[in-house]
Amino acid sequence: MKKILLSSALCTALVYGLDVLPAEKRTFDQSKFIPDISLIMDASYVDRNVKDADVKHLAVPGVVHGLLGSHSHGDDNHATYNVDNGFNLNYAELVLSSSVDPFFTMDGIFHFSENGVEIEELFFTSNALGYGTKVKGGKFNSNFGYLNEQHHHTWDFADMPLVYESFLGMHGINETGAQIQWTAPTPFYLMAGFEILQGENEQMFGNQSVDLTVINPLAIPQTAEASDGAGLYVGYIKASHDIGDTTILGGISYAQGDSMIDHSVDEEPTVFSGDAKLYGADLVILHALDSYSSIKWQSEFLARELDGIEYANNSLGVFISPTMLKKQSGLYSQLIYTHDKNWRMGVRYDTILQNDVIENGVTIEQPDGLDKYTAMVEYHTSEFARFRLQYSRNNAMFDEDGERKKIDTIILQANISIGAHAAHSF
Amino acid sequence: MKKLLTLLTLLPLTLLAHLNIVVSYPYIGALTKSIGGEHITTTVLAKGNWDPHFIIPRPSLITKVRNADALIMNGAQLEIGWLPPLINRAANPKTSPSSPTFLNLSHHVELINKPSLVDRKDGDIHPDGNPHFHLDPQNILLLANVIKEFLISIDTEHKEVYEKNYKEFFDMWSEKIVIWKQKMQSKNGLKVIQFHDNLAYFNKAYGLTNIGTIEPLAGIPPSSKHTIEIIELIKKEQPCCILHDVYHSTKTADFISQKSGIKVILMPHDIEALDSIDNLSALFDYLTSAIK
Repeated sequence: MKKILLSSALCTALVYGLDVLPAEKRTFDQSKFIPDISLIMDASYVDRNVKDADVKHLAVPGVVHGLLGSHSHGDDNHATYNVDNGFNLNYAELVLSSSVDPFFTMDGIFHFSENGVEIEELFFTSNALGYGTKVKGGKFNSNFGYLNEQHHHTWDFADMPLVYESFLGMHGINETGAQIQWTAPTPFYLMAGFEILQGENEQMFGNQSVDLTVINPLAIPQTAEASDGAGLYVGYIKASHDIGDTTILGGISYAQGDSMIDHSVDEEPTVFSGDAKLYGADLVILHALDSYSSIKWQSEFLARELDGIEYANNSLGVFISPTMLKKQSGLYSQLIYTHDKNWRMGVRYDTILQNDVIENGVTIEQPDGLDKYTAMVEYHTSEFARFRLQYSRNNAMFDEDGERKKIDTIILQANISIGAHAAHSF
Repeated sequence: MKKLLTLLTLLPLTLLAHLNIVVSYPYIGALTKSIGGEHITTTVLAKGNWDPHFIIPRPSLITKVRNADALIMNGAQLEIGWLPPLINRAANPKTSPSSPTFLNLSHHVELINKPSLVDRKDGDIHPDGNPHFHLDPQNILLLANVIKEFLISIDTEHKEVYEKNYKEFFDMWSEKIVIWKQKMQSKNGLKVIQFHDNLAYFNKAYGLTNIGTIEPLAGIPPSSKHTIEIIELIKKEQPCCILHDVYHSTKTADFISQKSGIKVILMPHDIEALDSIDNLSALFDYLTSAIK
């Protein structure tokens, strides 16, 4: 009996005793310095009319290979979105943010996925300079265009617009570098920004030399030489004006950098080396009906020019290095209706407008009608949980025999967050 | 020539002396203008007829914060969903929360209904307490004093003007408080239903008791189950009325009113919430006359 009493007393002491001191009285307590933390999960159920194994081999002709499949390079740890038929655990996003000192704040955004952990963003920002000037350093999403800066979980659709994903990949321009932005002291919103970035984007830029003997042991030159070091420059201007309850935001963007598109380990290996230019124009018009209801029309146009040399083997297995010029453009336009705090719905149209591939001065004919149609409806149980049903018809994908593969995809997406309250930008 | 020179030298001086103060909500703008008078201009970010929790962070607001000499906010997490990215993008050291030209009013008021347990299963709650403190007219006096001290601290030169304006406001408002109190005397002890507990401080000031809200939990839209519960509650507790904000749809409230027979009364929460309310006194004149 005594023993029981004693042990229960001990248990009580353990349970309550350790917690007696309030946080502010604990010596050396640092808990007040814990940064804002939030955790966001994104999972989906996917039903696609094409087998997973086949999807990886599909291409947007002249633009990109293996668009929907997991990345062909084994050495990266990017989170992928809605790749497999059936269930996908896309990522857990951990966000930490806090002031560093009176001069800086720091934000870290980490993607935990089945491919590993990726530093999605990690940067310091200073607002201390004054005159509307903001500087940022680290790894971050470039402010090119409108959508590029946004994270996957704030997109209005479960996947990226076709033109973005084809040109830049599903993480967009996500690079290490430095950014400076200046908001003008005008009566309306006017912002200009400039970024110097490392330029490692696999689909468009690149600054690492590639060993061409992997393609063909007799390759001359033996390596495709790259610049080494930061090789991507981005600039943009954005302006906005309100007319009553309608807000108009428009921007133009430009990116220029060295390009090295390395497919040297693919079945039909190619390496492109040259210069890349990317032009962007975006327009967003939002009309607020009341505090919770709005109509948003969002469109972006992207155009790129890749100019350089493509290294490959010809049909006889002989190493060739023709000059390659690609002039391509595309756009997406989407309309989102927010009904109330619970319901949202939207449609999106995607297309590749121009697809000129010129090899050794000769235009290689590319198929027309590269477009995609998407519709979605969302239900929010609160600000912190969203369920989305999305259907898309993609007419832009072709198999290795050059046959068009119409892809129908249904995605049921769950996006749930806990922790610090998210505040969204426009 | 001389005149021109004097004009030229005076022009930048007057520009400098004119403080551009950005505030989150219209009531703060009106109060600040009353104390600051001609030495300040106020720029209001939020619209008075919208839900103060949900303000669209339009890019034009970034420019307003960017051009500010000081910022005054309500605080207590009322602006948590929209103001932080504006401040961040504006990159104005004068509107950084650690700056002496930044004022968080909630730090100077005693907040009520602070939840003892903070958990989102209870809805999108305000962990620091109910942030709608400006709807107690006594608190307006308190805030006027805080704003006066704030203006003096950032613009000592016009100390006397601010003190004089404050004194005038204090006297005017004190008289009104007596009138409003008289008007509300007969309402003491009434039970009310609300959509969201916006009027917690108003109710406390005039002895009204909130017995339920149409939203089942803070920030969670009405459900049919909860609506039936509220109708049952009304039948049992006999509240006088449903005090409804201007920005939520009155659809559910009208349904409850139809089923239970109690009336729905629109209660503006800020200046501009209704067209007729163009100043702070008008807001309280309206609120204290609304319950018949």
